[in-house]
Amino acid sequence: MRFSLLPAVVLALSTCVAAGNFMPAIAQDEKPPEKAVSYYRSVRPILQRQCSGCHFPGKLEGKLSVLSVAELLKGGEAGAAVVPAKPDESKLVKSISGDDPEMPVSGDPLSAEAVYTIRTWITQGAIDDSPPDVGVVITAENPPVYSTPPVVTAMDYSPDGKLLAVSGYHEVLIHTLDGSVPPKRLIGRSQRIESLSFSPNGQILAVAGGTPALFGELQLWNVAESKLLHSTTLALDTLFGLSFNGDGTLVSFGAADNRVRVVKVETAEVTMRMDAHSDWVQGTTFSLNNDHVISVSRDMSMKLTIVGTGQFVDNITSITPGALKGGLVDVIRHPTREEVLAVGSDGEPRLYKIFREKARQIGDDFNLIRAYSKLPGRLCDLDLSASGNKFVVGSSTAISGAARIYLTEDAAKFVDIPDVTAPVFSVSFRPDEMQVAVSGFDGMIKLCHAETGAIEKTFPAAPLTTAPPSVATASD
Amino acid sequence: MMIFANQTCRLAIFAAAGLLYVTVTSADEPKPVPESAPPATDAASAETANAAVRSYVGLEVYPTELTLSSIRDSRRVIVAGITADGQKIDVSSKITVTTPSPVCRVDADGYIVPVMAGEGSIVVEAVGHKVEIPIHVTTVETVAVDFIRDVNPILSKVGCNQGTCHGSQSGKNGFKLSLRGYDSVYDYRALVDDISGRRFNRSEPAQSLILLKPTQGVPHEGGFLFDEQSRYYKVLEQWVAEGCQYKPDAARVASIAIYPPTPMLQLRHDQQQLIVIATYADGSTRDVTREAVFETSNFEVATVSKQGLIKAVQRGEAAALVRFEGNYAAAPVSILGNRDGYEWTPSPEQNFIDGLVNSKLQRMKLLPSGPADDAEFLRRVSLDIAGVPPTIAEVNAFLADTAEPVAKRAAKVDQLLSRPEYVEHWTLKWSDLLLNRRKTVTERGVWAFRNWIRQAVATNKPYDQFASELMTAGGSTLENPAANYFRIAREPKLVMENMTQVFLGTRFSCNQCHDHPFERWTQNQYYELAAYFADVGRRALPDDDEFVFTNVSPEAVINPSTNQAASPKFPFSHAGAVNAGAHRREQLSQWLTAKENPYFARSIVNRYWSYFLGRGIIDPVDDIRASNPASNSELLDALTKDFTDNGYDLKRLIRLICTSVTYQRSLESNQWNDDDTMNYSHAVPRRLSAEQLYDAIIQATGAPRALPGVPAGFRASELPDSQVEVAFLDMFGRAPRESPCECERTSDVSLGQTLNMVNGPTIGDAIAHPEGIIAKTIAAGATNEQLIETVYLSTLCRKPSAEEMTRTVEYFSTVATPKEATEDLTWALINSPGFLFNR
Repeated sequence: MRFSLLPAVVLALSTCVAAGNFMPAIAQDEKPPEKAVSYYRSVRPILQRQCSGCHFPGKLEGKLSVLSVAELLKGGEAGAAVVPAKPDESKLVKSISGDDPEMPVSGDPLSAEAVYTIRTWITQGAIDDSPPDVGVVITAENPPVYSTPPVVTAMDYSPDGKLLAVSGYHEVLIHTLDGSVPPKRLIGRSQRIESLSFSPNGQILAVAGGTPALFGELQLWNVAESKLLHSTTLALDTLFGLSFNGDGTLVSFGAADNRVRVVKVETAEVTMRMDAHSDWVQGTTFSLNNDHVISVSRDMSMKLTIVGTGQFVDNITSITPGALKGGLVDVIRHPTREEVLAVGSDGEPRLYKIFREKARQIGDDFNLIRAYSKLPGRLCDLDLSASGNKFVVGSSTAISGAARIYLTEDAAKFVDIPDVTAPVFSVSFRPDEMQVAVSGFDGMIKLCHAETGAIEKTFPAAPLTTAPPSVATASD
Repeated sequence: MMIFANQTCRLAIFAAAGLLYVTVTSADEPKPVPESAPPATDAASAETANAAVRSYVGLEVYPTELTLSSIRDSRRVIVAGITADGQKIDVSSKITVTTPSPVCRVDADGYIVPVMAGEGSIVVEAVGHKVEIPIHVTTVETVAVDFIRDVNPILSKVGCNQGTCHGSQSGKNGFKLSLRGYDSVYDYRALVDDISGRRFNRSEPAQSLILLKPTQGVPHEGGFLFDEQSRYYKVLEQWVAEGCQYKPDAARVASIAIYPPTPMLQLRHDQQQLIVIATYADGSTRDVTREAVFETSNFEVATVSKQGLIKAVQRGEAAALVRFEGNYAAAPVSILGNRDGYEWTPSPEQNFIDGLVNSKLQRMKLLPSGPADDAEFLRRVSLDIAGVPPTIAEVNAFLADTAEPVAKRAAKVDQLLSRPEYVEHWTLKWSDLLLNRRKTVTERGVWAFRNWIRQAVATNKPYDQFASELMTAGGSTLENPAANYFRIAREPKLVMENMTQVFLGTRFSCNQCHDHPFERWTQNQYYELAAYFADVGRRALPDDDEFVFTNVSPEAVINPSTNQAASPKFPFSHAGAVNAGAHRREQLSQWLTAKENPYFARSIVNRYWSYFLGRGIIDPVDDIRASNPASNSELLDALTKDFTDNGYDLKRLIRLICTSVTYQRSLESNQWNDDDTMNYSHAVPRRLSAEQLYDAIIQATGAPRALPGVPAGFRASELPDSQVEVAFLDMFGRAPRESPCECERTSDVSLGQTLNMVNGPTIGDAIAHPEGIIAKTIAAGATNEQLIETVYLSTLCRKPSAEEMTRTVEYFSTVATPKEATEDLTWALINSPGFLFNR
């Protein structure tokens, strides 16, 4: 690590700073050889890791964002966070230095090396050396351009079956299935769309996504007007597994911060948080009565939580032997019964009772109703038909993929979608139960007959430009 | 010697280890060109000063020509400067490479990169000399970046998949890779289908997490690893842009080779650049120096940089360990240091051991110590062969024996090999290795198995037969105690782990969960080898007995990575015959004990050698692997050959070792070998084992043997297992027999041990015992001088020197009674290194 290369004097200096003293004269005279500190490489990662959780445009604690040098110079309520060449006048340095630093409010103080790095960068003039292309922003005016179809991670049919919402890069594309008009493009801040769902009445499209390792975002769109009603930034990484409740007033979703949240659609306000998972939460669904939310996670558990209070009730299944193995990826409730289907890394879809009828014992799997035939690889997505009689599952072996339509009541019967050669990351059942949409790694959407599996139509998830990306062949 | 037409250089072509080196000397340059002095960081370093005035008469390059067979086939050369006295000093860091031809260019890091197909050359210039190297570029067509060939090696090189980062058991921050990239499918999945392709971005490759994380474009706890201009970045970016390709049938690396194969550096601060060439299964080769991962086995001797540059730290031997795509290689590195004034003096040789040891000593510029004297030899050989020091009578007889010294010592070796103590000593060793303890086989079983081992030692059962009888044992464990082997380890995996560590000297337990981190062994091989023990059936019999049989329907050994039952398969094949129709353990036994098995005989010979010389030729002796090279492989080969050629005769092996001049060397070192720890130029002190120490104290004091749980007269070495509670033995590190690792038995020196030796009841009671040697000698009316000599003989197994006698007599005069004085002396000598250590 670079920090370990700093001379011992660094620690001594930091201690002086911490004690509120200025640098001792002798240290200034000696002028230990200092390398130029890079904002982009050294300062920005520190701020991103330890400060940006509160001080970024989505939250703006103290009206300060630390995501760019311009924002640091502009500062917040307390004035400029950074005054070039004047570390002792920079609020940023003051607030992170000392024995009991003001910042971060929660979490560990910055290390002495980190404080020294920031201080030295300011002393050297607070130069912004960010590469120019970092600032490129994709907007409706500057839409994404595709030379190959984007990897499809989420799809949903509109309740009337006429539209298919598909994830793209920085956008959701709403295809009309009769092909009458080009797809509508709902372009937003999030690079990745992890999950999307039409509201029960089809008027609102809820989108969960974010930009990996930076932020998560919930978008709520008015479908008819292609208008963004709400953009709520949550967590420091993407959101997953979004579901509407029965009357479309709430959405639930998981996140990379291991949390399940429920948000009021009208105001985009978070009304419930649940923290009982120990790994990323990838799927959620409401119970039939809408009073519980069921969540699945990479921690291999499926948990039941009361919507009103956020109180954790039960592990519907857990990692104990015999229960589901591997991380769980998706869960969906049966349309007419208090039962859920779940899929995950072990390749075996399973149907569970939501509510336990026997006292819980360690290692039990009492809630399991039925396990279905395995698909190769891990299961990535799942959708139930409107009646709950059938469901479709997509899987990936990374090198290839598979998609299969099952009968919910008969584990022995299924239909495979033919000619699937790429990992399947997303599947959706058309509400009339006659068609399924299948897509994934290759970005090609296959519309298939739900009885026979026959492919009816194939098209790219997004309009393509002809030119392939220009990346020079790397020499060895 | 060939003469080139232009007469500017003379080429000496010779084959070294199958490689062609070209020596270029400049005929028109009669005066050597002095090299400019490197910055001397340590002014006191005479070595650095010496290095500064080196001058060179020519260059030697490797390779002598380059064939670049794809756009991604770039290679480098290493260059040695030849000094007037014939030394070859690596000057690769000082070379200037230029190319007069358009077929290639020279990259910033000195690599020769193909530009267009055709013939050309490069010119390498260094230390005032010049050499031209032909270049052949066969094709420069664009090739897609492949995950296995191009991407995974980068992940390994920058450390993404190391054990402390994403290669750890649970990964890091939700992203997990296989440890050191042993499972390319797993790693591909982690990057491509985990979380539906979160980690790459085909629409905008530069926005891929796989590129943003290592460049700190987004916060990355693992820090900054490479920048956007680096070759690594460009390869990964191209891979994403091309759609993240994976060719499952891509040619895998079959082997890697290091050049130079045995780096020899002269002085401190000298350097040697390595080149690593990978050979793929399809026969193609590739310079993988930049992707290979380098480590040193001993950073106090030599460091190896990430780029494969060895730097000499101080005189000594180390190994440069190289890893690339699941292949391992090691180059033994010798740092000679300043040996001005060294001159080899021929040392006597008794058998082939001495010749092979001496030639290594000569190569490392070491001078061996002289022979140990008779008393030293006698104590050493008695402890090593029979586990006990010689008695007073034996010492006196041996010192008085005037026979020819070589014959006299050889006769002593033979005599010791026929003593009952020899049987007990080696029974104890094998009981440790075979984990004989009552916790697993009951008390009756312990005695039965111990007796079986004793019988094998006593009859000098050929080692291959011994192993074979264990592997194939069946029946009642009381009637055929060898069957206890399958009572001690009850499941195929454990039997296999014990078998590999004891009989092959390798550690297979690592690859239960993942491919071996330092060896080529894979997780699959672990389960395939374990499957040979899947047909062992066990049935309880009355009286704590058990019946071991061969089950006709073997139980499945499930490989968790595939969830499939593993089929029996050997991890390596050899030319030895295996009867495929035999039952599984029979096949395993044939494979294991075959003369052609490169580990079986070699590992036991190495293990026995370590018992006598204090260090294995490969060390640790039960961790044989490619990255743990032998300090003298010729010696180990010769010992192995003698062993297999002569019926796997362990007594013969012991006799060979103990009659060698090498074994009989003195502990005293000289100015030319005092830093030697691995070439056997002098004897090394070894602390007595717990049992040896206990028995030696009892013998030295003449106190009666009274151990709990065994009949009176039993020595500690004769105890059946460590369940017989003797706190002293536990404190001094007897083996608890839970694992077959040699490391189970400890020879550490601890404060507790010291206090016990100084103050503990074991010593105190033994010294003061009314029936002991002191009491008897005093009762017999001995003079002070006689008392002193008796104590020296009984403890240190030698007579006191004249000076020791004088000083001890003086001491006796200051103490009230001879009894008290004798007890003091005994106590002092027992606490001296001469007693505690086998020297």
